Amino acid sequence: MMPGQISFRHAIAGLTFAGLFVYGTQAEYFGLELLAEIAVFAILAMSLDLLAGVAGLVSLGHAAFLGIGAYLFALLAVNWGWPPGLALVVAPLATAAVALVVGAVVTRVRGVFFIMITLAFGEMGHEFFFQNRALGGDDGLAGIPRLDLTAIGLDLADPETFALSLLLVAALVYIALAWLVATPYGRVLAGIHGNEQRLRALGLPVRAYKTSVFALAGGLAGLAGVLSAQHTQFITPQLLHWTTSGEILVMVILGGLATLVGPVIGAIALTLLRHELSGYTDYWGFWLGLFLIAVVVGGRNGIVGQAELIWRRLRRRPGHA
Amino acid sequence: MPDVGALLETEGLSKHFKGLQVTRDIGLAIPAGQRHAIIGPNGAGKTTLFNLLAGELAPSAGRILLEGRDITALPPNRRARLGLARSFQKNNLFEAETVLDNLLLADIARGGWGHVFWRRLAADRAARDKAERVAAAVDLQDRLGQEVRSLSYGARRQLEVGLALMAEPRVLLLDEPTSGMSPEETGLMMELIDSLPRELTILIIEHEMDVVFTHAERITVLNYGEVLAAGTPEEIRRSEVVQRTYLGIADESESA
Repeated sequence: MMPGQISFRHAIAGLTFAGLFVYGTQAEYFGLELLAEIAVFAILAMSLDLLAGVAGLVSLGHAAFLGIGAYLFALLAVNWGWPPGLALVVAPLATAAVALVVGAVVTRVRGVFFIMITLAFGEMGHEFFFQNRALGGDDGLAGIPRLDLTAIGLDLADPETFALSLLLVAALVYIALAWLVATPYGRVLAGIHGNEQRLRALGLPVRAYKTSVFALAGGLAGLAGVLSAQHTQFITPQLLHWTTSGEILVMVILGGLATLVGPVIGAIALTLLRHELSGYTDYWGFWLGLFLIAVVVGGRNGIVGQAELIWRRLRRRPGHA
Repeated sequence: MPDVGALLETEGLSKHFKGLQVTRDIGLAIPAGQRHAIIGPNGAGKTTLFNLLAGELAPSAGRILLEGRDITALPPNRRARLGLARSFQKNNLFEAETVLDNLLLADIARGGWGHVFWRRLAADRAARDKAERVAAAVDLQDRLGQEVRSLSYGARRQLEVGLALMAEPRVLLLDEPTSGMSPEETGLMMELIDSLPRELTILIIEHEMDVVFTHAERITVLNYGEVLAAGTPEEIRRSEVVQRTYLGIADESESA
């Protein structure tokens, strides 16, 4: 990847997050609900981008870790009465631990088999929470508390404070992941995507790296789950359903694989489309499908890939004139 | 007993796949700094020999010694750390990455520092300096920021050698570095190989006879998995058995 390309992406990310922030300061209740939802999906989509876009491990079971994070938080904070602050830290770490175990198994296979085995694991997770009466079964769990940050002057019961806090977390996740992909570890992940056989021949233990990124992405999805649980204060097994996994994957592809900012834009686009289009038509999924086909057939790497192309052409033109 | 002065040696090295003998009782003794060519018709077992030396295949019998140390049981990455590096017959690179990042990835994988997540790769001056030195050695110093997919075929072959050099090897195994190259590109590649440090031991599989006879100090001819002849280029050129069974065959297949 070229350095110019990277700063272009950072610039888009800066603009995107600034735009969301301004929107948050202006928005009414419904807008803030949307913003909180966007922030959760942005984190989720970025975590899947690290796994699928950067490392090339396309998972169709990623939503399972969203659900596991949410349920773990509910279990710790509600059933076991842990302070929400502690549960907020422990739940994503425990989710990462689960992802580590799952990752050690699923990284044994590649390509379409990897997609199938992650789908299977995701469905197992969904079924577990769906059938488990102690965890509310298909009714889900209600009464999940939000973190109490009044000590530092933040009232998370206030929709604006809550939505902007989630946005801040999403921006921090972007910064952390943008840093990570530029480190030796991140470059190795990209190298595994590009040519894992050569890295193995060069002496790299490829599977250990795949397992580690699976755990990391799972942990971040768990964090998104914890935030989602605090947002809606009510969770159901639908969080783990494979259609949720599919939707996250659509966000990543729509925005642009391995761009990190692309999935954020994909999360915005899909959340808005779902809410806005569903107001006008029951066929919003149809229009979304059409939109996705247009983006994929366009041949570029999603919205960000298209923007990069336009930017390159604009910059070239004055030089040739 | 290991010869004194031999850096890389094999004793009775054999490999068979389900009864098919592809490598038969090969004994090599290659002193440090020698430029040694392996030639032979297609299917003579040249690449298999490299796979055995690099550790990608386990021999059915025999031993491999590096500086007198038995490395027969060591996996490829351990051999790499002891100074054995190889390039591949087909380009085997990271297409979407820059030349610089390709070289750095080779360094990371060999050096085992891929877990580093607290420091940006671009901030690693030492690794970058090394990559720049290697890039200069394979004549790619002006292409560092270019993505591999935009490189010419010849430049890719050069980078392939560069990736092997990043391991700072003492023994370099080059599997047909000039395959698919135009005569001009071949000339440039051989110049480049000749310009590598004299103390570097190079084993090269090569098809172009002109190239072999002008650039190698010693030649081993393989045929049906066994050593047909070994000697200086002059001895090989004059060898009757080689003339009959190999150079003759090559001429026939070329005219066919």
